Amino acid sequence: MTDISDPRDELVEHLPAMRAFAISLTRNPSTADDLVQEAIVKAWSNFDKFEPGTNLRAWLFTILRNTYYSLHRKRRREVEDPEGALVDTLSEKPHHDGRLAMEDFRRAFAQLTDQQREALVLVGAEGFSYEDAAEMCGCAVGTIKSRTNRARKRLAELMALDESEEFEMTDNATAAVISGKPAA
Amino acid sequence: MNQQIDDNLRRVYSQAAEEPVPERFTELLQKLRKQEHEQEQENKSPENGGNGEDK
Repeated sequence: MTDISDPRDELVEHLPAMRAFAISLTRNPSTADDLVQEAIVKAWSNFDKFEPGTNLRAWLFTILRNTYYSLHRKRRREVEDPEGALVDTLSEKPHHDGRLAMEDFRRAFAQLTDQQREALVLVGAEGFSYEDAAEMCGCAVGTIKSRTNRARKRLAELMALDESEEFEMTDNATAAVISGKPAA
Repeated sequence: MNQQIDDNLRRVYSQAAEEPVPERFTELLQKLRKQEHEQEQENKSPENGGNGEDK
């Protein structure tokens, strides 16, 4: 018997983050949970390959995203692209409170590419280093940096309406956004 | 601007991460544990020697 704890006991602590990451990738909670389920089973049968003392979350996330990409390739032709449906509603609504602004952010985020969403979540939300994120995604550090930058730039473009409103914050500007007419 | 994006991102992300984990996952982990114990028992018993060793 060793005094090293079984890393499998720690898996449960990473489940909430795995679900959040899966939702970021799939943009759909029920698909996300199927993905998490599959990743757990894969992780479990491969735990002998996990090096104790290294970052378990990074290891689990790597399995999760690899599972996503292999499933996604299979399903790509079957699943309706959600992006088209989202674009129509983007400029429709006024943004009176934080909750609506968050909805806008979600919609904009959902329009990023898989790779952009992944890079942004790993670096921006989870706080992994560019180096760790690159290793998890199996690409160069520079690639992760440029994906993150492009993701931020694209989000800023998609959120441009919110941005202008936030900075101007006048009734005229708000009315203009809602009516589609230029501000007086 | 990037700061704002990251703030939004973290807010959306942490909302998802704060959701309670559905039972199906804790049940799944229990099932996997149980399966493993059973396999270990099988591997140890002489009449099932060699079972599950085809890795």
